[in-house]
Amino acid sequence: MRRAYFKNNWVAALVVAPQLLIIFIFFYWPTSQALYWAFTLEQPFGGGSEWVGFENFQYLLSDGRYWDSVRISTIYALATTALAMGMALTLALFADRQLRGYKGFRVGLIWPYAVAAPAIGLAFRFIFNPSAGVASYLNQAFPDIWNPVMNGDHALTMVIIAGAWKQVSYSFIFFLAGLQSIPRSLVEASAMDGARVMRRMWDIQLPLLTPTVFFLIIINITDSFTDSFGIVDTMTSGGPARGTNLMVYKIYEDGFRGLDYSGAAAQSIILMVLVVALTLFQFKYVERRVHYS
Amino acid sequence: MKLSLVSTSVLALLALSGAAVSQTADKIKFDYWYGLSGQLGDVVAATCDRFNESQSTYEITCVGQDGYANAVQNTIAAFRAGQHPTVVQAYDAGTADLMMSGEFYPVSKMMADFNIDIDWDNFFPGISNYYASSTGELFSMPFNSSTPMMYYNIADLEAAGISTPPATWEDFEAALVAIKATGKECAFGYEPSTWIDMEQFSMAHGIPIATNNNGYDGLDSEYVYNTTLHVKHMENIKRWYDDKLLEIRSTQGGLNARDSFAQNECSLYFGSIARHAAVGLLVDGKFEWDVAMIPVYEGTARQNTVVGGASLWVLSGKSEDEYRGAAEYLKFLMTEESERYWVSNTGYIPVTKTGFAALNAENFYANPPYKGRELALKSLTYTDPGPLTRGIRLGGFIQARSEWTNEVQAALQGDKTMQEALDTAVMRSNDVLNKFARTYRGKQLP
Amino acid sequence: MIERTPVLNIVTHAILFFGLAILVIPIYLVVVAASHTLPDVMAIPAKLLPGDQLVVNLQAAWTEAEFATKFSNTLILATGVVVGKIVLAALTAFGIVFFNHRLRMPIFWMVFITLMLPLEVRIVPTYAVAANALSPFQAILDWTGISWLVQRTTGIEVALNWNLLNSYTGLIMPLVATATGTFLYRQFFLTIPDELVEAAKMDGAGPLRFLRDILIPLSATNMAALATIMFVVGWNQYLWPLLIITDPAYGVAAVELSRLVPNMNTTGGDVPNWHWAMAGTLIVMLPPVVIVIAMQRWFVRGLINTEK
Repeated sequence: MRRAYFKNNWVAALVVAPQLLIIFIFFYWPTSQALYWAFTLEQPFGGGSEWVGFENFQYLLSDGRYWDSVRISTIYALATTALAMGMALTLALFADRQLRGYKGFRVGLIWPYAVAAPAIGLAFRFIFNPSAGVASYLNQAFPDIWNPVMNGDHALTMVIIAGAWKQVSYSFIFFLAGLQSIPRSLVEASAMDGARVMRRMWDIQLPLLTPTVFFLIIINITDSFTDSFGIVDTMTSGGPARGTNLMVYKIYEDGFRGLDYSGAAAQSIILMVLVVALTLFQFKYVERRVHYS
Repeated sequence: MKLSLVSTSVLALLALSGAAVSQTADKIKFDYWYGLSGQLGDVVAATCDRFNESQSTYEITCVGQDGYANAVQNTIAAFRAGQHPTVVQAYDAGTADLMMSGEFYPVSKMMADFNIDIDWDNFFPGISNYYASSTGELFSMPFNSSTPMMYYNIADLEAAGISTPPATWEDFEAALVAIKATGKECAFGYEPSTWIDMEQFSMAHGIPIATNNNGYDGLDSEYVYNTTLHVKHMENIKRWYDDKLLEIRSTQGGLNARDSFAQNECSLYFGSIARHAAVGLLVDGKFEWDVAMIPVYEGTARQNTVVGGASLWVLSGKSEDEYRGAAEYLKFLMTEESERYWVSNTGYIPVTKTGFAALNAENFYANPPYKGRELALKSLTYTDPGPLTRGIRLGGFIQARSEWTNEVQAALQGDKTMQEALDTAVMRSNDVLNKFARTYRGKQLP
Repeated sequence: MIERTPVLNIVTHAILFFGLAILVIPIYLVVVAASHTLPDVMAIPAKLLPGDQLVVNLQAAWTEAEFATKFSNTLILATGVVVGKIVLAALTAFGIVFFNHRLRMPIFWMVFITLMLPLEVRIVPTYAVAANALSPFQAILDWTGISWLVQRTTGIEVALNWNLLNSYTGLIMPLVATATGTFLYRQFFLTIPDELVEAAKMDGAGPLRFLRDILIPLSATNMAALATIMFVVGWNQYLWPLLIITDPAYGVAAVELSRLVPNMNTTGGDVPNWHWAMAGTLIVMLPPVVIVIAMQRWFVRGLINTEK
């Protein structure tokens, strides 16, 4: 691919320097510091530290509580992804028909993206509050059927619903764009062949959307690691009985509440590796098949 | 000469904006971070204002950190950056971490250095022991000291045929049954609390929480509360939960135990005496209530309970002027007037013997809204503190408390038996202790 | 799309409406809660229709949470993130696309890796250096002996210190340190026809002039797209400010919102002020939602192009 270039490579150095400098100071160097903390026992007030090698990692990987946290994060990630994408896909398929009010629906389905995680957390915490929110109706009819305060599963359900709500818009935008990039001619041709709406959805639109689907799965899963903090912190603080102790939340709780910086650093390293692996996987196997014009 | 990149530019800016420096530059300023929030936090802020108004040499800036855990966490963040306050209100659970860091100025030493005369023996031993070194020197200044009490609704108890508040847990259970029999939905609003259910319970019964006299004697301690009477107590709690003799009322659910009590929904609840004022304000005379000491099991020789609340620590790395200011502030808090202000507006109890004596002399505790608070002192001074009832000096205690709470929640949900839960909590808490000891390898508890 | 049968249309509208409802109902309930007095909000069963206290509660929430300061802080934060990202993205993409040097690929990868790790996943590492962000340079100077040299020759002790607590830079920089916009710009710059570049060279324009006079104007839409997304991201920051802001004067909106309702970690036992908390939720939600709706075309486009 021939490209026209400028010759002055010093200018190139100059322009990329700021970004490189910033990511060195705020990305790479901190990571090395975290590695240092992860291999030692760091005192909270910074007075010193004790080298322990891989022990922090060994402890984590053999700790049932850590694996609980991994399990909960996985359930959360998969559930929110499935819920959000399922709803988004359905809505996109029908919005794509571009009937009257299309613009209105589109706007209406996009704006939730802008709502901050703690705001969503608070709103849903209130709604699902067993004694004050709308869910209280349920408890009135069937006493004690809904109790996210004491029941870890209920709490997790509540958090998942909040998380899925947050992620619908994102997937909707991509699905809609994906659908709109399918050449109309294809769809019209099949319509002329006598295929009805559902048939077209099943045979043409969905298969052509598969790359988007894979792409969104990975994005939703990785996003579920980050957005979830605001939601969990405002809704359940990781409880009850650690029922909503997502990995990101556990890092925060162990490190900043429990003052165990080394344990939190080790968990961070593991989480970072996990997220990088997921993203690399997405890039290698999925990106290649995505073609937008 | 030190050259600091950022500070030189700041100095330059300041020089340029010299005109903007106001006349308060004459006052020596220092910072104080406190953890109390809500009504109690407001009163703390008021003590700061009172200090500033009472003199013109120093100016204290008080910043509420919205929670003890936040206060400690933020202090550490600030400390690592050299931006910490001079005084911080740190709670009991953070004591060991602060102590082991060594990054504080013991108040006994500080007051001596500035020639401020404080009668250290004037503090109630049950209070000062928590914050003192093994040789009796106070590290931090006792400030807001509280102890748990049983809050009870007089009318509800009488309707159930009970004229005096239950003094034993056996009587307590009978009371619950009787109250429920009168048709009251919620006899006991309960929120699992390490402080009340485990720590103070063990103190009152004279049973250990951990080896080494609850950690005072060394860093190699181990928890033992899963082998003591505490287990039976928690099993009872679980049984009462299952039998609907108590209802869980937690902050997470919105209406916590205190508010459930204050709104006349639940007849009994256990809480810190510190809440006494707030409860009074919330109840607002709508029903008659009072406090009593927490029950003990039959056949137990009651021991003293220990303080909860927090104390004021002076951190290292500040200037002498700031320390002088801090010393003045602490001295100010110790005056009779300040103590009176503090105990009138909150439920906390006076920390000095003379303070208490003075208040008693004027029958402060004879009438509502202060009546009943003297029982807290009775609970604290029931016996002289023994080796097991001095307090708790265990590292990583915040995590240990969290372990207990989470395990108890799981047991209450029915996921496991209470014994299993407490066993798990102990095991994991011992890991925390282990890690703590190794993080500070070679150091001793002061 | 092709058929216009009434049944199909009704079904479509129904489904879309249902979806919209699911998204909107929680917010409706928030509005309801924000428009009642506290006893009404706590009443069982919950009220489903709005009351009349909305303005009162909004005002109360605004003062209680000191949103005035927080909003201006959050605005600074969001704007800082927007400007930082755009400037860095444009410059770096420019340097990668329009020059041909050996380090192009390594630089590309170094920048790309940062895409994978958003700040929430990096809080502990970033926190580790928050006390002194210049510590790497201090370490380098110490290790290479330069600081020793400086001290010996001039008597000045070099102590580089830049702490991130309670500062706007501290809030903004770690967020800017990922490559979100860089690939958007790279994508876009790759579509610039070679002829333009050739023409500029022939006119004697240097690379910087080319950047300023041609590329930047052309990338206006991309800029708008990126700005919208980054504004929302900056505005909604929660975890990082929670950790490094200890001075309320520097607080941000999202963190302050969570303070309106106590949870397990607060001490002092306040009654949860649900009505204010819900009002606060509405207040905090408003600016980014307005921006997204107003700029939705750019926003959608930016989202799609950012993920390439």
